[in-house]
Parts: sequence; structure tokens; C-alpha cells
Amino acid sequence: MFTNQTKSLLLSGVIALSITSCADKHNNQGTEFAPNMYHSVGYEPLSQSEGDTNHVNPYGMNMRLPVKGTVPRRYYGQQAKTDSIDGDLLEMDLVSRNIKAGDMTSSENLLTNPFEPTETNLEAGKLQYERYCQHCHGEAGKGDGLVAKLYKGVPVYSSDALKNLNDGHIYHTITHGKGRMWPHGSQISSSDRWKIVLYVHQLQQAP
Amino acid sequence: MTIMKRLKNVSLMAILVFFASVASVKAQDNAEGEQIFKNNCSTCHAVTDEVVVGPGLKGISQRRPIEWIVTWVHNPQAVIASGDKYAVDLYNKYNKAQMTAYPGYSAAQITSVIAYIDAQVTAVVAPVAGAVVAGAAPAAGSSNGGMMQYVMIALLGVMVLVLVALLSIVSSLTKLSTITPDSIEGQKIPLLQRIAENGKKLTANSAFKTGAALLITLLIGKATLDSAYGIGIHQGYAPEQPIQFSHKLHAGQYEINCTYCHTGVYKGKGANIPSANICMNCHNAIKRESPEIQKIYRSLEKDEPIQWVRVHNLPDLAYFNHAQHTNVGGLECTNCHGEIAKMEVVQQRSSLTMGWCIDCHRKTEVNAKGNAYYDKLVELHNSETKEPLKVQNIGGLECSKCHY
Repeated sequence: MFTNQTKSLLLSGVIALSITSCADKHNNQGTEFAPNMYHSVGYEPLSQSEGDTNHVNPYGMNMRLPVKGTVPRRYYGQQAKTDSIDGDLLEMDLVSRNIKAGDMTSSENLLTNPFEPTETNLEAGKLQYERYCQHCHGEAGKGDGLVAKLYKGVPVYSSDALKNLNDGHIYHTITHGKGRMWPHGSQISSSDRWKIVLYVHQLQQAP
Repeated sequence: MTIMKRLKNVSLMAILVFFASVASVKAQDNAEGEQIFKNNCSTCHAVTDEVVVGPGLKGISQRRPIEWIVTWVHNPQAVIASGDKYAVDLYNKYNKAQMTAYPGYSAAQITSVIAYIDAQVTAVVAPVAGAVVAGAAPAAGSSNGGMMQYVMIALLGVMVLVLVALLSIVSSLTKLSTITPDSIEGQKIPLLQRIAENGKKLTANSAFKTGAALLITLLIGKATLDSAYGIGIHQGYAPEQPIQFSHKLHAGQYEINCTYCHTGVYKGKGANIPSANICMNCHNAIKRESPEIQKIYRSLEKDEPIQWVRVHNLPDLAYFNHAQHTNVGGLECTNCHGEIAKMEVVQQRSSLTMGWCIDCHRKTEVNAKGNAYYDKLVELHNSETKEPLKVQNIGGLECSKCHY
């Protein structure tokens, strides 16, 4: 059975297999030439500084959470008043930041959309809706997005309880969440949220 | 006989018509209820006893009196506040989730909804037959996988044939050598000795020697060049991540937009790695029991960041900005990252070399439409040439555009 010929064949087979079945290459980044030109000396967000040089922050992280209660400062003051859209937007931003997550009534009464429902704004709202809302709320706001089938309890915008909700209510829902929906304020900028509100109004009126 | 048969048929028809008419009358009553239910209630309640978000409504008319249901639907919060035991128990059982109030519906409308729910109890039998038919579809779909299997088997067959051919060549070659391996003497000589003898004969041959030397030099040269070109190129790098997140599932199957998690991609230099609160927007409810998802919960509880492994490492010596390419240039993510929606584990698809960048800057036209920043540049460019304005024409090949 095991003649020299078969033995030699088996041997060559084993050698060939061991050569071809190479180690897992997916976790290997490969060789880097001059790595000190690759890795940033300055602190980059989302990366840890090389060699644990950052001892101040936990886990050597380069990003930190903003101090509680701080507001991003852009053009507050004089400049904001001259530009009507930015002025309105900033005013609404400051008002909404003072409204607590559970205080839907204040949002409904105090907040109004700084953007007019022009064609450009509606189009921008639709784009943002497609990016941030559609996978749950569905293309036409019928609560039939692909994720909604798993998440469950996604409402129909045009239903009798929701079709008359105002600007502030929708803005508050996106920012702080409502019912089963969790807050999305950290993902979507306030101007994008207001544009989504414009488009949601359109979907509320759809049959 | 025939008369009897006819009579039977007629009576059967009559019975059928009767049932049909009853059904249609019922259907008319329930039409309004059905519409109200589907528009308002079905997101949280099922007509069966299945729990969606709130309780299943099968048999609701037996469980609660109609007056109670009407007051509940009009203002659930008030009923709970009044201390009604059933309502308070219900509220506590369903994680204190508040039902939306529908004060606008009349008692008659609510009754029609309940009539619709009751009518579904009998109708539920029908969808079961439908489910059987639907069940047949995946079987047909899996035949695609079967096809793949046949191809693999065929390939295996071809490989076996090639092996047989090679074996026959080897055996005929060994037969040609001086010692016939099948003879008794041939079997007695050990394998290594035979290899050594044959090797000696070969090395004596000068033509073989030069050929072998040339081949080895070429192979070494190729290997050197390949690895030299591969330095600093991470193409194909697909590191294992701390959580087995599948882009194929999230971006592919569920069509969640890239921006939903990579919030910076249209706004800033980096695309951003999502923080755990974005995962939790869905995973507070979906797949809670999965060990991979529980890693998110653990990291949130400990307030510990998830240490994702960076896949695309553009050297710090080159500047790249996502927003400029996606928002201003209007490029799709797949343009550079490949078919992310089909990747179980994300892999670096593009080489990210300078040649690759420059190549695209030479070919790509500037997305100047509706962007006033480019108006004068386009005007100036068009006065000189008829070629469209490309990235290279506005400094896309300048060193200092990316290296500074």
C-alpha cells in the first residue's frame, strides 16, 4: 500500500499545502515606512495619542466631553442680529437649550421654525429626513421603515393623533426623543432638525 | 338523480351567497374601524394576542366593558391617575409606557374599531394558508446556494482530473529514470536516497543550473519589488473589531444611511465613529440578548469607550477632508470605500496612495453646479478652453493642496 511513490506524493502534498495556506493577513496592516510621518504628533480626535503621551484624559483619549451647560459659540451678539436666518436660528437654539427633556409643553408653546417652507428648504429637509429618519419612519412617514419592523411602535405621521402636531413638538421629539424614540439631538445639527420639521409637516398632510 | 344533484348545488350556492352577504355587511361596518385601527393603533397593538409595544387586542371586548375602553382611549393618563386598578397594572406591566390619547374619536368610532378587532379573530385562520405558500418561497431562493454547491463540486472534479494528469506525468517520468520504481530493487532503495541520486544527476547538467539560477533570481526580484511597492499600503486590511459589527446588515439589509452613525461625513474632516448612544437608539429594543450587543451595554455602564480599530489610516503627511469630497464634490461613500453595504467585516478597498488620489483629481470634473464659489473659476476656465473644469485645473495636483 505505502510504496515509496505514494509516500513521496503524500510528502509533496503536505509541503504544498503548508506553503499555500498562509497565515491570516486580514489583521496585518503591513509594513509602514517611517511611521513617525504616518501618525499625527498633534492630537487628532477619535484616536489615542501614540505612546500614551496623553495622561490627562482617561484611556489616553484626545476628545473630551464639553463642560455641562456649555453652548457652542458661533456668532452670538451683534453679528447674529444682522443676518435674519442665523439670528432666528440662534434665538431658537438658545430657547430650546433651556427647555428640559420632559417639558414638551414649553417646546410646543415657545419654539417656532426659523426656516420658511421654501422649495430649497423642503428639499434639504427631505435629504436630512432620508439620512436620519427614513430607516424607521419610512419613506412617506407611515412608520414602515425597514428597521421599524424590528423596533416596533413607529407611528404614522398622518394619523389623527399626530397630523396636527406643531413645530415645537416635532423639534422636541427629534432632540429629546418621545415614547419609544430616543434622543437624536447629538447627531443632527439644530438647523438640520428644523429643516426635517418642515418636511415632516409635509408628510403629516399626505393622505 | 340529476334533479337531486341540481337541488344540492342550488342549496349549496344559496348558503354560500348568504354567508357572503353577511360577510360583506360586516365588512362595511368594520371598514371605518379598520382604517382607524391601521392608521393609529397598529403601530403598537396587534389584533391577535401578540405583544407589539402594548398588549395584543384579541378578545378586548370580553376583557373590558366598552365604556371603560372609550374613557381609556380618550385619556389614558387620566384613567391611570384616577387609580383604576386595571389601568395601573397595565401601565406597570408595559414598562410605564404611556399610550397616546385620542380624544377626537366618538364612542361609535371606537366601537367600530373593536368590532373590526373581533372580526379578525375569525379571519386569522385565512392568513395561515397564506403563510404556507409564503414559506415555499425561501426554499426556491435557497436553490441559488445549491447551484453554487454544484459549481464547487464541478470545480473539485476538474481539480481531481488535473491531479490525475499530474500523477500520470510523475509516474511516467519516474519510469523513464534509470531505476524502475515498480521493480523490487526500486522499492528497496529508500526515498531520500533516490531523491539525492536524482538531484546529483540534475546538478551535473549545466543547462539546468543556469535555468534554475535565472528562475531563482527572477522570483527573488519579483518578491522584493512586490514587498517594496506594498510598504505603507494597507489595501485589504480588515482588522477584527472589539464588537462584531456588520455593515452588511446595517447599511445593506436595513439601509441605514452612512450619516446616521458617521455623523461628520458631510460636515467635517473626519467621518466620525459613532458613540454608544447612537447604537442605543435602536439597540435599546433590538437584539438585547445578543452577547455582542451586551458589550455596548457594558461599556455604557462602565463609562468606557469602545476601542474600535481604525481601518483607513491615511498618513498624517497628507491632508484629507471628508466634507470637501462628499458635500462639495458630491462623491458617494462607495467611490473610495467600495461596497461597504456588502462587507461583513470592513476592509480597506482602495490603495489610498498618492497616485490613486492624483488619478481621480485628473479625471473628475468639479461639481460646480449651484455653488457660487466656483462661478468665476468656471467663467475664467471656459474663456480659455472648451474642456470641462476638472479638479486638476483648480490646483488638485498642487503639492501644497494636501501636503503642508
